[in-house]
Amino acid sequence: MNQSGIESKLERVIAQRKRSKTIRYAFYIILLILVLYSIRITVIEDTDWARIGGVGTVARALGRFLPPDLSVVKYLWGPTVETFMIASLGTMIAIILSLPVIWLGAHNITPFFPVTYPIGRALMTLSRSVNEIVWALIFVAVVGLGAFPGILAIGMRSVGFVAKTTAEAIEDVSTRPIEAIKAVGGNRLQVIRYAIIPQILPIFISIAIFQWDINIRRATILGLVGAGGLGLTMARQMLMYNYEGVTTVILTMLVLVGIGEVVSYYVRRAVI
Amino acid sequence: MNGHLGGEVVPMANKPVTWSRFRYPQSLIRFGIYLGILLFVSYSLDYLNIPLERFFPMFGRLWSSIFSRYYPPDIAYALDKAYLAYVFETIQMAYVGTLVGVLVSIPLAWCASYNVTPNRRIGYPIARFIIMASRSVHEMIWGILFVIILGYGMFPGVLALTLFTIGFAGKLFSEQVEAINIGPVEAIRSTGATPIQVMVYAVLPQVKVAWTGISIYAWDSAFRAATVLGYFGAGGMGWYLKLTVETLDNLRVSAIVLSIITLVIVSEVLSAWARKKIGAK
Repeated sequence: MNQSGIESKLERVIAQRKRSKTIRYAFYIILLILVLYSIRITVIEDTDWARIGGVGTVARALGRFLPPDLSVVKYLWGPTVETFMIASLGTMIAIILSLPVIWLGAHNITPFFPVTYPIGRALMTLSRSVNEIVWALIFVAVVGLGAFPGILAIGMRSVGFVAKTTAEAIEDVSTRPIEAIKAVGGNRLQVIRYAIIPQILPIFISIAIFQWDINIRRATILGLVGAGGLGLTMARQMLMYNYEGVTTVILTMLVLVGIGEVVSYYVRRAVI
Repeated sequence: MNGHLGGEVVPMANKPVTWSRFRYPQSLIRFGIYLGILLFVSYSLDYLNIPLERFFPMFGRLWSSIFSRYYPPDIAYALDKAYLAYVFETIQMAYVGTLVGVLVSIPLAWCASYNVTPNRRIGYPIARFIIMASRSVHEMIWGILFVIILGYGMFPGVLALTLFTIGFAGKLFSEQVEAINIGPVEAIRSTGATPIQVMVYAVLPQVKVAWTGISIYAWDSAFRAATVLGYFGAGGMGWYLKLTVETLDNLRVSAIVLSIITLVIVSEVLSAWARKKIGAK
């Protein structure tokens, strides 16, 4: 290429870079305007600013939460254990309930593809769409208050994620062991047991432990709608307007969730 | 028993050798785990006073009782103008919360990634702590706290969703950054760039697609949480849920739950389509 050809090409590249830079800056400015406008609509126009008062009132409101009320701690041991148990039993129910949903929802092992695959996928979506609080409300209305509806609610909520991830893992599985088992005469069940399950078992266990960790977090709030555990203690403290006690309960929740995260991190590393 | 080995008669062991998949000590560990789980379950059932023998016959009645109470749903209530206004409010709340949360998460995730953080001694632990703390507290608790401080309305809901998104997206963002190829980062660093320039020119191009996918996923999760945040007064359709549940208006409860399910399914389809379109997994 001669000298003027290189120069014109350089000019074109520079002009194009300048154009894309302008477009990028315009995009950022539009984004900023959008953010400010939506904040204006949702926050500024909708809020009862008279009730909030000034920054001083907010600071005073925050100050009511401190210092944490340590006299509540002796009431916390039972609910903490209860929350932990609700989360663990709920995860176990989710594992058991997810097995048929996985079988229906993975398109290489589902028995009758046009009918059962959509059913499996719909069950997974249904379980994940309904928030755990709504599940808890349904079960409290049906089986009464206490820990049992909480366990059922957590179980039903977790089924979706476990089933979805495991079904996707099954769909990605290597077909060579499947062909090998079929070649020696295995029927459908034996193919699943000897070819598919060994490949997905580490993923399944890892997902189950991951959901167990998240379920501890979910179980802490189920008590707010009557399903037992630390949420119930928090609701009681709020009814007594004992906001320092609320802080103590929240700190306990943090500790419980933290322990669950540490345990789940190490166990998942040992499995995978 | 005598066996023939190479033409000679040699005494063999009395027991035939069996194959088992797990030998000691793995078999002991597996047995211990199963036993531990069984003991834990039975102890929990006792501790929580769950009389399983009472509930088993109940399961048959469970479905008929759900059906009789919650069917047919009061669809006209869910299509009411006032309710639809709250639905729109929920969508707006989720949108603003996710937007602000993602914008805050970007620099936060940058500080919380061990390989490109500008300050390993102070900035890294602080950023990690903020993300962990936001994640550990359930979004409903954030909602309740902000409602106590700020009153009812969308503002506490937006703040709660922002903190939820910071925890959710911040963790996923920083995991993406820690998994990048360090080559371009070293290259840009060797030209003498400041940490911000390293971030913009070496890290962002690699993680942009994954981050966009995560942001869409975060919007989807925030929307699911926003539908119920109103239960505690933080704005949105959950407020109607609370009203109908507390007045035991079960047909309207089922209508509201159906509307929640429909909206979440629509948002999930939208977000899956959007994520596929931009090419993220």
